[in-house]
Amino acid sequence: MARTNRSSLIAILVIIGGLIAVAFVNSNSLGNFGITLLSGLFQGMLLFLVASGLSIVFGLMDVLNFAQGAYFMVGAYVAYDAQHAGGLIDLTQAIPDPNLRFPVAVILAVIVGALLGVILERGLLRPLYARPVFQLVLTFGVALVMAEIIKFIWTTTPYSWTEVFGVRESFFELFGQRFSTYRLFVVGMGIVLIILIALLLRRSRIGIIIRAGVEDREMVQSLGINVQTVFTLVFTLGCAIAALGGAVAAPFLGASTTIGDIFLLQAIAVVVLGGMGSYEGTAIGSVMVGLAVAVAQDAAIGTSFAALPSITPMLLLILVLLLRPSGLFGNAR
Amino acid sequence: MAVTPRKTGWLQGNGWLLVLLALLILFPFIVGALTDSSPYGVARGDRMIMRGESVRWQSVLIEVYILAILTMSYNLLFGFTGVISFGHALFFGTASYLFGLALEFTEMDTGLAIVVGAVAAIVVCGLLGLLIGLVTLRLKGVYFAIFTLAVAEMFFIFLGRWQLTRAEDGFAITDLPAWLDPTQSRLSFYYLALVLAVLTFLFIRRLVNSPTGAVFQAIRENEDRAQSLGYNTLNYKLFSIVIAGMLAGVAGLLQVMLNKKVGPELLSVGYTVDPLLMTIIGGVGTLGGPIIGAAGLHLLDVFFRDRELVLGSMTIDIANIWALLLGVIFILAVIVFPYGVIGTWRRWQARALRKR
Repeated sequence: MARTNRSSLIAILVIIGGLIAVAFVNSNSLGNFGITLLSGLFQGMLLFLVASGLSIVFGLMDVLNFAQGAYFMVGAYVAYDAQHAGGLIDLTQAIPDPNLRFPVAVILAVIVGALLGVILERGLLRPLYARPVFQLVLTFGVALVMAEIIKFIWTTTPYSWTEVFGVRESFFELFGQRFSTYRLFVVGMGIVLIILIALLLRRSRIGIIIRAGVEDREMVQSLGINVQTVFTLVFTLGCAIAALGGAVAAPFLGASTTIGDIFLLQAIAVVVLGGMGSYEGTAIGSVMVGLAVAVAQDAAIGTSFAALPSITPMLLLILVLLLRPSGLFGNAR
Repeated sequence: MAVTPRKTGWLQGNGWLLVLLALLILFPFIVGALTDSSPYGVARGDRMIMRGESVRWQSVLIEVYILAILTMSYNLLFGFTGVISFGHALFFGTASYLFGLALEFTEMDTGLAIVVGAVAAIVVCGLLGLLIGLVTLRLKGVYFAIFTLAVAEMFFIFLGRWQLTRAEDGFAITDLPAWLDPTQSRLSFYYLALVLAVLTFLFIRRLVNSPTGAVFQAIRENEDRAQSLGYNTLNYKLFSIVIAGMLAGVAGLLQVMLNKKVGPELLSVGYTVDPLLMTIIGGVGTLGGPIIGAAGLHLLDVFFRDRELVLGSMTIDIANIWALLLGVIFILAVIVFPYGVIGTWRRWQARALRKR
């Protein structure tokens, strides 16, 4: 056990160190280097918000929720709609200050995500616990339906964020470069969430039940604990966090029908390279993939490899799987 | 399910199949006679223009055959071996791109390019399946599903931005020989697609009823048990995915020839969802299921595509919400109709027999 831990630690250090070195060599000033790092961490945190639900739900319930990307997308659309005038939910009259409206929009997105999560788990997945393959197929179908419903409500035209407000626009200067405070704020929030979920898993009673459920679901059940309720709770939490990710990403990335697929794909790479069902693996994997994408985006500017950033997560995944077939922290067999 | 050897003659056992086959062979002429249109199209000068009801229905059925081949290959993997793939479009699209590249971007003679392109496409599809299988099939089943999805999406994104193949627009196939070109002789292409669909069906039936096929089904039912009986289940699963990938590649080749266009949409998630849904609707792990599913869903699609749904004062184009309807059918099928048409029918029969 100690051996495998050490080898994966070395792999992590080598990959992250290599990425940072590439970013440093590639940028011609300390300021640019900082921007690449911040952008990588920002994308890594957004990825973590999608991947954590995917990973914990898989560990506990053996369901890989392919609809996780769709929840991210729903979060982005709801937050966009609530923030801007003339949508379904018009908050511009009720809360005229855009800086105050934004947190409300984010909370609204999280609530919608959670509600849709409860509906999916209670209504659709529960009848299928005897047929796990069909659960996988079902979440795939749910992702399609959610994308189509969104197209029906908000049409297929992508929305780019037009509302200008203080939180989004503010910046601070360092090494002669402007850094977005909002990105730093999202990174900070992501780190807080990583710690909070870790505490929830390690220190609370519900966390102990979840971890025990990951080890042996039937044993937990036979101890008289209602695993079904825990399932619903964890699943809902996963969906809500994904919606939160979409909502905080929207001011930068806008809302479009492809945004969910992109993040789902990257989150899948994160979950597999971190080791399925491993929380630490997901957190570290998110940062790794986020950094790699940011470095690739930097490297692709001005070259003909415009597709490089979009295939970077897969390349990194293949690299890690060659080093450790079951992921960094995983036990895949 | 044990396959009991039949005592009746081959002809008797395949009677309904032969009738169906005869009907499909005569189909262009039957439609032609009923609608008073020529199955060869309309002659204009020395060229044939592909116009008229018979020709139109031929192309509908060609699409059904292509989808049936794709779905049968999917069912071999999902229904008979119990390995689920979420990236079947990968094989479909890869084959079409390779074929298109061989035809349009090499200096080869057309006939040679077709042979080389088709062979290369099918071989690469098999290799791709082998590679993905080698990486993931030792692990839990879900890894294969994830990996196929991720690789397919990666190729989809990559080809959507690859300048050589004109990125999102894709490129057209211009020099197909006349006998293979559906815009010049639809009827010969119709028979080509029919023959390939029938061969695929016969091949999969032979495979499934062979000892190898029995091991496939044993893996589906309980892989640990198959392993403890001494079978190297990994090799059998690899074999299944290689065959399924190659057959999906054949379907991709036909699709390119039919539309005479190659584009990233051939790798889109739609070509994964279609065979998955068609397999479930028709009957997972049955021989006829994929054909029933492919024909049923595609004909519904053709039938409803141009219609409108009137809801009070609202009119909705069905074409706009077809994907949504398909998704809802998908979810309902998984929850309430998981055995498909054939599976449900068999259960009914079994129940009726028990009552008697």
